[in-house]
Amino acid sequence: MSVLKSENLPPIIKDSFITGLITLILAIPIVGLPTINATEGLQIEPRWSVVIWMVLAVFLGRLVLNFWWHREQPSSSSTSPLNTPFLQSLQQLLKFIIPIGVLFALILPTMPFASRYVMDVAILVITYIMLGWGLNIVVGLAGLLDLGYVAFYAIGAYSYALLANYFDWSFWICLPLAGVFAAISGILLGFPVLRLRGDYLAIVTLGFGEIIRVILLNWYEFTGGPDGISGIPRPSFFGLEFKRSSEGTFSSFFGLDYSSMHRIIFLYYLILALALLTNFVTLRLRKLPVGRAWEALREDEIACRSLGINPTNTKLTAFAIGATFGGLAGSFFATRQGFISPESFTFIESAVILAIVVLGGMGSQIGVVLASVVLIGGTELFRELEEYRMLAFGALMVGIMVWKPRGLLAHREPTIRIETEGSS
Amino acid sequence: MEYFIQQLINGVTLGSIYGLIAIGYTMVYGIIGMINFAHGDIFMISAFIALIGLLVLFGVGITWLPLVLIVVLILSMFLTAAWGWVVERIAYRPLRGSFRLAPLISAIGMSLFLQNFVQIAQGARIKPLPPLVSGGFVLMDSGDFTVNLSYLQIVIVVLTLSLMTGFSLLISKTALGRQQRACEQDRTMAALVGINVDRTISLAFVLGAALASVAGLMFLLYYGVIDFFIGFLAGIKAFTAAVLGGIGSLPGAMLGGLLIGLIETFWSAYFTIEYKDVAAFSILVLVLIFRPTGLLGQPEVEKV
Amino acid sequence: MSNLLTVNHLTMRFGGLTAIDDVSFSARNKEITAIIGPNGAGKTTVFNCLTGFYKPNVGELLLHDGSLTHRLERLEDFVVAQKARVARTFQNIRLFPAMSVLENLLVAQHNKLMLASGWTIKGLIGLHSYINQETQAIGLAKYWLDKTNLMNRANDNASDLPYGDQRRLEIARAMCTDPRMLCLDEPAAGMNPKESAELNSLLQFIRDEHKIGVLLIEHDMSVVMEISDHIIVLDYGRKIAEGSPEQVRNDPAVIKAYLGEDEDEELPPKVAADLQGETSHG
Repeated sequence: MSVLKSENLPPIIKDSFITGLITLILAIPIVGLPTINATEGLQIEPRWSVVIWMVLAVFLGRLVLNFWWHREQPSSSSTSPLNTPFLQSLQQLLKFIIPIGVLFALILPTMPFASRYVMDVAILVITYIMLGWGLNIVVGLAGLLDLGYVAFYAIGAYSYALLANYFDWSFWICLPLAGVFAAISGILLGFPVLRLRGDYLAIVTLGFGEIIRVILLNWYEFTGGPDGISGIPRPSFFGLEFKRSSEGTFSSFFGLDYSSMHRIIFLYYLILALALLTNFVTLRLRKLPVGRAWEALREDEIACRSLGINPTNTKLTAFAIGATFGGLAGSFFATRQGFISPESFTFIESAVILAIVVLGGMGSQIGVVLASVVLIGGTELFRELEEYRMLAFGALMVGIMVWKPRGLLAHREPTIRIETEGSS
Repeated sequence: MEYFIQQLINGVTLGSIYGLIAIGYTMVYGIIGMINFAHGDIFMISAFIALIGLLVLFGVGITWLPLVLIVVLILSMFLTAAWGWVVERIAYRPLRGSFRLAPLISAIGMSLFLQNFVQIAQGARIKPLPPLVSGGFVLMDSGDFTVNLSYLQIVIVVLTLSLMTGFSLLISKTALGRQQRACEQDRTMAALVGINVDRTISLAFVLGAALASVAGLMFLLYYGVIDFFIGFLAGIKAFTAAVLGGIGSLPGAMLGGLLIGLIETFWSAYFTIEYKDVAAFSILVLVLIFRPTGLLGQPEVEKV
Repeated sequence: MSNLLTVNHLTMRFGGLTAIDDVSFSARNKEITAIIGPNGAGKTTVFNCLTGFYKPNVGELLLHDGSLTHRLERLEDFVVAQKARVARTFQNIRLFPAMSVLENLLVAQHNKLMLASGWTIKGLIGLHSYINQETQAIGLAKYWLDKTNLMNRANDNASDLPYGDQRRLEIARAMCTDPRMLCLDEPAAGMNPKESAELNSLLQFIRDEHKIGVLLIEHDMSVVMEISDHIIVLDYGRKIAEGSPEQVRNDPAVIKAYLGEDEDEELPPKVAADLQGETSHG
């Protein structure tokens, strides 16, 4: 570990100073001169103290960064930044964490701190984990940048709501049907666009997501427009309703006092089951030819073509299966809330889910869990800082991309091994 | 007929604004092959800077409009260019060698960051500005419909045309432009002949941001109201324009901008205004599916 | 030995540039046919046309398969690999870097395994028929790992392999598709003499044991002259010579293309030796 040389100091100071200066220039208008909507019109109320703090913070931050860069070993490997001893031992630890984590998730509702609030947050986190795993198939495994994943979430939710409301079918029929609808829409939306290159595909899927949202917003007769759909039936425990009355309900059947927690816990296990299903299917598919084809496509499409793999079909399966899980999550969302509206299905949602996948490490299932817990769980706990949440999201996306482009936990284990003599 | 001509005028004006923003997308794509997702938010920031500039100048008592506008324009161009430069340095340059999707994801993060930064710093409410440039010509008057051509519309179109011409000359005739074109064609080779590639790329971002800032001021004056979210929609539409005209092609960006402006205006006027944004998205999707190289673009042959 | 491939009047233009100009040749089964020529002669372009990555402007590309004939100029790239069973390697090596060596070889057997997995359904429930097929596929992969000396690197990431190993992996992967014709684009590039000698044995083994046709683009004359049965010479997109190695190395047009105009001058001895394929190897 090299000690900081004194001759490095002046350039570092100068660099930090310049950074601070640039921050000053940028911050003065936007930060220092906020426009306030007063009754007579817009006013400007300067707040120079904030600017000063900001400039100081950036200056110091840059200084610290510079020190860190100059102290680091010059031979830090950039090809495998994840093979530092610390992260390797973390990798080992992770193998144990999975069964422990699943166990913890299973027994969570029995924990003393499992209040209504905690369960709600847990349900939210697991919903995003499932969405992350679903998108992971498309983005992480197949390498298709889908910026409109929220469309499938929405289609699943609305399909479920409409089926349940109009046809009065039970949850267990509507849920898979909604998944099927989502899969079909995945194929329909995917088919014309999947031969596009990376960035173009991203923008087109973004466009699709927005088109769907605007249609949902404006097609009043069918989707209720901005009012959305309400009165979506809640799920029942195989026919036993979660209601307060004394007959034919869950509580009466099991001889328990009615508690609203029963339904919440049921919902919790429901989403947990759905999420674990998503994970199980993903892990199985990775070991099958279709999963390998996805990853090969991500690595080099031209090589895939030269091996006789039909890229469009392969991409379509990734898209459709990813869409299915998004749709299932959407159905769950609809039945949990009892009410849905286009507001829940904006581009921001797609961006959040993408952030979870990317920050966790594209293709890494555990990474998605970690990112979801940190990002969704973390921001739920800091509700007061709500407006800073998206700011932090954006900053984290940029920061992690720049620091570790492959994500925090991106490490790929081969899906199959054979015994070799004298392996290197 | 008069209604049609009015829409035509309005469409061309809107199209000029989109065209100016579209150039930023097309330049960056041409030189490093990435979609600068945050460019629309740079446009939004420039509108805010312009607004703040105007308010400050009015606040200190300077009210002579031509002077105010010119000062604000130059200031806005300079500051917005600085923002564009910083965004490139922070979010894109470190990812230059990385895999294709990395800069795009970073750009999305940057876009979210900028939107929320302005939302927090300036407030989430819309910011209205009383009309500053009013008056114009009456072109036709048929009794039940008058066709108006406002001074502002003339200014916008003329300014855009002159900037476009100047910019095209810059790219085709000056050394700066040659460096840009060289980097577009072959970055490695450009570096080998002594071009400072980093600086050239930064310049592309800076110039794109500067042009977007002109659009920002024009937008502010024309529509009289801005908020932190205008970047998202304007960005998508301007990007559609760039793709429609042929991504990487400067005249394509202008042409695309004009077309999108016209389509949006006519769609709102003759069909329905609610779905007008869908029109832009749908065009984007259709163009990318059926003619990804756009109207004036060159088909790319991928080296096998 | 019958014709495996017949190329008739192949022409490929890119805008104003004619990359291949009315080239006709044929390649036979159980033979190694080399395509040589100075840089820019259009060799890789020929490959790209043959494997469906480019669509030629003019010409027929006929792959003979018993009684069937595949018209390669009409087929999409992956169809050429799938139906006509033409496999190829690339000038700039295209492996799947984040996947292991073994996985690379399994991906090559995708179509067969996809069918066996009943489009994934049978695979998902772990049906025996799929598992058997997968075991067979692994067996084939092991076979080629053995032949290309990569067995002890089977679980390593393709990107971790040294250059020479990567080239051989690409060949192994191409062979795992069970092709009828193998197209190799500069397989010996960057290899030292020992490695090129090993490559020669490998290609001869493929030709003799697996009895397919091999099409080879190469600059390394020690490889070309040593193992080719048939050579086609291109220059500026045109065919300037075709024949056996002896015929080609003495062909004045070939000498002119490689060395320039002045035919009166004697060849420098080292260059003449090169052309004779007598560069030091082994």
